[in-house]
Amino acid sequence: MSALTTSPPTDGIGIANLPNQRHKIVAKRGAHFTIMVVGESGLGKTTLINTLFSTELSPAKNYSRRHVKQMDKLTEVEIIKAELEEKQFKVKLTVIDTPGFGDYVNNRDSWLPIVEFIDDQHEAYMRQEQQPQRNEKTDLRVHACLYFIRPTGHTLKPLDIEVMKRLGTRVNLIPVVAKADTLTQNDLFVFKQRVREVIAAQGIRIYTPPLDDDENAEHAQMLIDAIPFSIIGSTEDVRTPDGRVVKGREYIWGVAEVENENHCDFKKLRSLLIRTHMLDLISTTEESHYENYRQQQMETRKFGEPKVKKLDNPKFKEEEEALRKKFTEQVKSEEARFRQWEQHLIAERDRLNKDLEQAHSAIKTLEAELDNLQVGYGRGTGRR
Amino acid sequence: MPITGRRRNKVKGVQFTIMVVGASGTGRTTFVNTLCESDVLNHKAIQPPEAAHQEEGIRIKPVTVELEEDGIRISLTVVDTPGFGDSIDNEFAFQEIMNYIERQYDDILAEQSRIKRNPRFKDNRVHALLYFIPPSGHALREMDIELMRRLSPCVNVIPVIGKADSLTPKELKAFKKRIVEDIEHYDIPIYNFPYDVEEDDEDTIQDNMDLRSLLPFAVVGSEEEVEIEGEPVRARIYPWGVVEVDNPHHSDFVRLRGAILGSHLGDLKTLTEDVLYETYRTEKLSRAVNSDNRDSQLLPEDLANQSVRLKEEQLRREEEKLREIELKMQREINEKRQQLMAKEAALRNLESRITAQGSNTSY
Repeated sequence: MSALTTSPPTDGIGIANLPNQRHKIVAKRGAHFTIMVVGESGLGKTTLINTLFSTELSPAKNYSRRHVKQMDKLTEVEIIKAELEEKQFKVKLTVIDTPGFGDYVNNRDSWLPIVEFIDDQHEAYMRQEQQPQRNEKTDLRVHACLYFIRPTGHTLKPLDIEVMKRLGTRVNLIPVVAKADTLTQNDLFVFKQRVREVIAAQGIRIYTPPLDDDENAEHAQMLIDAIPFSIIGSTEDVRTPDGRVVKGREYIWGVAEVENENHCDFKKLRSLLIRTHMLDLISTTEESHYENYRQQQMETRKFGEPKVKKLDNPKFKEEEEALRKKFTEQVKSEEARFRQWEQHLIAERDRLNKDLEQAHSAIKTLEAELDNLQVGYGRGTGRR
Repeated sequence: MPITGRRRNKVKGVQFTIMVVGASGTGRTTFVNTLCESDVLNHKAIQPPEAAHQEEGIRIKPVTVELEEDGIRISLTVVDTPGFGDSIDNEFAFQEIMNYIERQYDDILAEQSRIKRNPRFKDNRVHALLYFIPPSGHALREMDIELMRRLSPCVNVIPVIGKADSLTPKELKAFKKRIVEDIEHYDIPIYNFPYDVEEDDEDTIQDNMDLRSLLPFAVVGSEEEVEIEGEPVRARIYPWGVVEVDNPHHSDFVRLRGAILGSHLGDLKTLTEDVLYETYRTEKLSRAVNSDNRDSQLLPEDLANQSVRLKEEQLRREEEKLREIELKMQREINEKRQQLMAKEAALRNLESRITAQGSNTSY
C-alpha cells in the first residue's frame, strides 16, 4: 500500500493519485471471484482447483459411497466457498463443480443444469438490482469457466463442441487440456492445434485476454498462443531426480512438474486467472455477459415479471408426444376395426339366430299340424 | 502350453479372434499395432474442423494378420470398434457390438444345421474382448459397467486400462483395486483366468493367480522406438522420462500379450466354443419354441413399435377367436338346418302317407 503523497501544486492538482486511491479501496474491500469447472469425471478438476489455490478446497473424492448412490443420470452443481488471504488481501472465492457431466451412456442435454445455473445467477443479480433496497447483493455470477478436454490426442468430441458452444456465449470460457502428462510433446502440440482449429471452425467463443494494453501485450499474446492450456495438477511435494522438491507427479520413469513450463502450461493458466487477468475476467462478466443477458431478457419481458421456467428437455418431450400420439392412433384404429367386425359378427349371429327361431317355429307349427292330423285321423277312424 | 490341435494348424496357423472396444483416445489402436508389431489398424482419421460436431456412429471392422508367438503361428483376427463411446448418446453402439458377436454365433449355428456343410467355412466367433477403461483414476463409470455387464454373458471380457502411463504407481494400484471392487459388486462375469485348485498343477494355479491379480491390465502402447543402451526399445518419450512398453515395471503389456496369444489362447477358445456358444445356442433354440421376448435394451421408438406389435398380436389373437366362434356358429346352423330338412322330409313323408291313407279310407 503506497501512502498518499501530497505534492506541491506545481506538480498538478492530484488527479494522478487516483489509481492509488483505487488501490486502497480495492485492497480494503477485497475481491470476490467465482470460477466454474466443467468436464467428465476423472479429468483432474478437483486437483487443479486445489493446485491453483494451493489449498485443499475440494476434499478428495469419497469412494466408499459410490455403490450406494443410485445413478440418477443427472449433472449436479456443487458450490464450494472459501476465503483466501495473501499479504493482507482477501479474496472470497467460490468454486462451482459439475460432477456427473458426461459420465453416462446417454449424455444428451447433460449441459442443461450447467447452462441454467449460469443464467440463473445473472437472473438473480438482475432481480436484486431491481429491488428498492439493493445494498446487500449476493453475486454468484460466474467469472470464468474452465472446460476440461480429455487428452485423447485426436480432436474435440461432439459433446465437447455442443457444451462449449453454449457456454461460450454466456461466460468467459477457458478450455484446458486435462492430464496433459498423458501426451508426448509432439502429440500435445498437434492436439492443441487441432482443438484451436475446431474452436475456430465451429464458432465457439472463448475468452481472450485483451491486447490493447501495450505494456502487457506481449504477455497477453503469449497466453493467447498457449490456449488450450495443458494442465498437470498436483498438491503433493515430490523429489525430482536432481534433488529439487517440487509440486509434481512421481512416476517410475521421472517426475512431471506442475510449475515447470516445459512440462505444462499451469503457470500461464494461473497467471491468467489470478495474477494478471482476474479483474478483467470479473469486469467482462459484469459488463459484457451480464449486459447481454439483461438486454435479452428485457427485450422479451416486462420489468419486474418473473422468468418463465423452461421445460427441461423440450425436444425430448416433443418426440415423446409425437410417438405416443402415433401409437395411440394406431391402437385406436385397430380397435375400431376390431369392434366393427365384432358388430358385424354379432349382427350375423342375430340374423342366423332369427332364422333358427323361424325354423323352430315352422317345425312347431308343422308338428302341431301333424298332431292335429293324427288326432283327426284317429278320431276320424274312430268315428267311422 | 495347451496346443489346440491338429497337425494342419502348424501349417495354417491357429485361428484366434479378439475384439477391442473402447472410446477414442483410450489407446486401442496403438495397443493393437503394438501387439501385432506392425500397423494393422489405422489411427482415427481426423475430420475437418467444420465437421467435428458430427457424430460418426460405431463401425465394426475385422482385420486379419499372421503372427508368430513362441514358435506357433497364429492367424489373428482383430475386430476394431471405432466410434464407440464418441456420440452424445451411446445406447445404439452397445447394440451394434452385441449384434456383431451374436451374428457370428448365428452363422455357426446355421452352418452346423446344414445338411451339406461348407468345408471352408470361416469361424468368426470372438474369443476375447478387450475393453479399454479410460485412466480416470476414480472407478468404473456407468458406460464401463453397462458394457461389461451386457457383453460378459456372450464373450470373454478382459478389462484393460489404456494409457496407463497417466497414473502414478500409487494411483494405479488404488484404481485397479476399485475397479475390481466394482466388478465384484455388480457381479460382472469377466474372464478372470479360472483355475481349479483340485485338478490343475501348482504352476498353472500360480500362473493364473498372478494373472488374475494383475487384472485389469494396465497397458502402455507405442509405435515408436527409441535407443536405450544401444538397443531399440518401444517407448514413449516425455520431457521428464521415458516409458518402456515392454518393461513389466512400466506396463502389463508383456504379461497380457503372453496370456492371450500364448498360455491362455486355448482356454479362451475352448470357453468360447464349449461354454459361451453352447449357452447361446441353447437359449436361442429354446427361445424359438417359447417365443419369449428378448431382454435387450430398446430405444424409445423401438419400444413404442414393440408395444404396437404386441397390441397387434393381441388383436390378431382375438380376431382368430372370433373367427373360430363364427365357424362354430356356422357349423351349428348347418347342423340345425340339416335337422330341419330331415324333419321336413319326415313330415312330408308322413303327410303324403296320411293323405294317401286318407284318400284311401274316404270314399
